[in-house]
Amino acid sequence: MTITGSVGFESKLRTLEEAAGEVADGATIALGGLSMNAVPMAFVRELARRKVRDLTVVAIVHGMPLEWLVAAGCVRKVVSGLVSLEGFGLAPRFRAAVQSGEVAIEEYSEHTLICRLQAAGYGLPFVPTKAGLGTDMLALHPETTREEVDETTGEAYVECTALPVDVAIVHADAADTRGNVRVDPKLVWMDSELVKAAARVIVTVERILPERAFRAAPERTTYPRFAVDTVVEAPWGAYPTSSYPTYGYDGAFFEAYQRAHADPATAASFWEERIAGPETHAAFLDANGGPETLLRIARRPT
Amino acid sequence: MSAATIDELMVVTLARAFTNETRAFNGAVSFVPVCAYLLARRTHAPELVWAASSLAVDADPKSIPESTLSDGLWDGASMLSNSAYDFWSYAQGRRYNTFAFRGAQMDAYGNVNNTTIGPYASPKVRLPGGGGMADLGCMIPLIFLWSTTHDPRTFVEKLDFRSGIGWGDGGDHRARLGLPGGPQLCVTNLCVFDFDPDSKRMRIRSVHPGVTVEQVVEATGFELAPSPGGVPETDAPTDEELRVLREEVDPTGARLREFR
Repeated sequence: MTITGSVGFESKLRTLEEAAGEVADGATIALGGLSMNAVPMAFVRELARRKVRDLTVVAIVHGMPLEWLVAAGCVRKVVSGLVSLEGFGLAPRFRAAVQSGEVAIEEYSEHTLICRLQAAGYGLPFVPTKAGLGTDMLALHPETTREEVDETTGEAYVECTALPVDVAIVHADAADTRGNVRVDPKLVWMDSELVKAAARVIVTVERILPERAFRAAPERTTYPRFAVDTVVEAPWGAYPTSSYPTYGYDGAFFEAYQRAHADPATAASFWEERIAGPETHAAFLDANGGPETLLRIARRPT
Repeated sequence: MSAATIDELMVVTLARAFTNETRAFNGAVSFVPVCAYLLARRTHAPELVWAASSLAVDADPKSIPESTLSDGLWDGASMLSNSAYDFWSYAQGRRYNTFAFRGAQMDAYGNVNNTTIGPYASPKVRLPGGGGMADLGCMIPLIFLWSTTHDPRTFVEKLDFRSGIGWGDGGDHRARLGLPGGPQLCVTNLCVFDFDPDSKRMRIRSVHPGVTVEQVVEATGFELAPSPGGVPETDAPTDEELRVLREEVDPTGARLREFR
């Protein structure tokens, strides 16, 4: 497909399908957002549809995207601090896959995982923290969370070794075709640490703005174009999670998802009809109520 | 005003432990403490700081959504923090001083398990994971625990996995690790525990109306430290506390998600 970017500059704009093709089998990917918020779900759905294999998925605190990738058989290992659907309950596919040994989990706490990503982003062998001391988590992987004692103060601490990421995927409000990205109104989650730790960065956005919009308000730019490799326009691209403050998460989707997983047959038809089956992102939104659903979750005019 | 239900009694009891010096935040599935922070702020502790989802400082939501980590909780905030730079820095720098967590299992020292039931390598039940509790248990001096399922499966002698540290192995273990403070209270659906100042084991501070000490002992899978001076009944909520909780803090009853 041909997309016209700013005159004279190479456009980084790609379709969801093209961008998902950048993730190779066996890659380590990191997913932005947190729990019910700002997850690049349109991209995750496309990865699931492509049946990418043997992924290591870095997911600090997540639920639904791991459900979809596990259901599609994409995942070899999850590197995470917490996986659940929160008030909607445990994550059923993930839980079954870990209990059966189909998917491995490399378990961290939220902050030790952030420290590992920061070490990768800063080019350091490790970042120290007091997080995790006295818990069983450290001994699960003493090679990546090493307990040490500071010689000067005698204080115990943990060395969190660098966690390199092949591809980070984050969702934001707006980008230009050169790769400048704006999280609006402000970056609250830990996406910036994923962006800095990753060799390649893919950003899905609610809308494309002209470059002059970024030059007119440079204080609002979150990621510079040299840190971003690929931009995908994906309106409602975080659905069924939220994209604050434009729209909230769709609680009805999460409820229906959990209800469907009471029984393998209804889980399979839910998966086909409402998640993996629809050919395009727009068809996926339609399969989940289309405009009626979107109006219900909208928080401000888009 | 109708009599307090158990969820209301737990919220009010926890709220009364918070003060104008409380600077708190919350994690996932934390309906009881979120209600307690909001209730305390609307009653006796107007200066209390609460960051919704650990990010939205001074949020004042009209109701509480299905996720306590979601932006549905952020209305009215005076600041949206950045997690990596604002939240984790203020947590480690002790600007924040209060955190509440729960686990599928808890032991006598207030350590919690939210990772696996059964052996780690071949779990009977894979739970969500420790999330931030392994971190914040190390960073925050005033830790509060709660449980809506006070039984011997929850309150166990030995955790299947220690996801978050309370008083560790007891005694001065936290101090030896260089960690501040430790667990203060554990509010359950049967009673309130506090911790013996020396051994750091749980002991009964009060029992809820209609509950006996014997019932608590039977429902607890480890030996409790003695309670000096006897065990009173947990103070009842006032009509005003119940009104504020029911009408202003949690009109949709989100806290009941923890009592299913």
